[in-house]
Amino acid sequence: MNQAIRAALTARVAGIGVLGPGLADWVQARAILRGEQTYVAQPCVLPVPQILPPAERRRATAVIKLTLATGLEAVAAAGLKAAELATVFTSSGGDGRNCHEICAALASSDRLISPTRFHNSVHNAASGYWGIATGAMAPSAVLCAFDASFAAGLLEAMVQVAVTSAPVLLLAYDTDYPEPLHRVRPIPDSFGVALALSPTAGDLARLAVDPAAAFTAEPATRMDDAALEALRLAIPAARALPLLRALALGAPGGLVLDHLPGQQLALELSPC
Amino acid sequence: MSVPNTATPPVDPALMREVAQHIVAALNLDLPAEDIDPDAPLYGEGLGLDSIDILEIALVLSKHYGLQLRSDDANNHVIFRSLRNLAAYVGEKRTR
Repeated sequence: MNQAIRAALTARVAGIGVLGPGLADWVQARAILRGEQTYVAQPCVLPVPQILPPAERRRATAVIKLTLATGLEAVAAAGLKAAELATVFTSSGGDGRNCHEICAALASSDRLISPTRFHNSVHNAASGYWGIATGAMAPSAVLCAFDASFAAGLLEAMVQVAVTSAPVLLLAYDTDYPEPLHRVRPIPDSFGVALALSPTAGDLARLAVDPAAAFTAEPATRMDDAALEALRLAIPAARALPLLRALALGAPGGLVLDHLPGQQLALELSPC
Repeated sequence: MSVPNTATPPVDPALMREVAQHIVAALNLDLPAEDIDPDAPLYGEGLGLDSIDILEIALVLSKHYGLQLRSDDANNHVIFRSLRNLAAYVGEKRTR
């Protein structure tokens, strides 16, 4: 193993965006995760993305609204320029309601699918709308790793920070499925988190993954609050919550994020 | 091709209103159906629709009225010129 691979994978957190049930933004989420405010589960409210041109705004699905809200919040907090920022998008399955509508059309007598639904069904739809909204021409990766999607995205973003020595915006997001898909994939609501990661700037925390011990059989770090733990387990993108709590508290130390069974992601947080 | 190539083909006002309502609903337009100018261009200038919108309209009207609106029809520029032309075409070709 050469020196470059043996060195810990590190990135600084420069900005955070959050939107989910009962979590309107990072400011509110931070207060809840610090225990300064009680968590009250409420349906996630997705804002209309005014940054999009009118035609794209009319067609914006939940994943588009979610990623624009969280991504722009993280970028603004980091003081970075969205147009210049490479992105990593990660989602366990894209837009659940759009998928439902296409399935319903295919099950109907004429099987004709809405072109708008079709164009919104690709897994990189959120990345495409982000590019239109921000004018970003930087590389964009789009991942899917089912329930491991957040940890897989974080690892990919940290590797990109290390390889390119440039900031990377990570956007993790999932949306609900209506019935009958809900019965087999019971994601109850939308949840999104965005982390602006940088090799040198950013004062929220320093994240490190030791390549020799990146994966562990230890169980994922849990949330003390029962409602937040339920949220963590219910929506794949919310598997980020233990990391968000550590960032909110500024708490140094190790934590384990849900990834693959027997190969959970071990992460070390330290102050900048 | 039997759609008259004029700016004002004869059309049932009730059907034109109904077609306008389908357009507003299908495209999630932020305006009342009655605000669509029957003679303004649907595409580009005017209502500001793009090619995906036109495909969406074709799909919704095909399903609702049981007619064919094909993307390779040489007369599409006439059929989709305005709400009035589109409603006239629907009135002539509808099977339900």
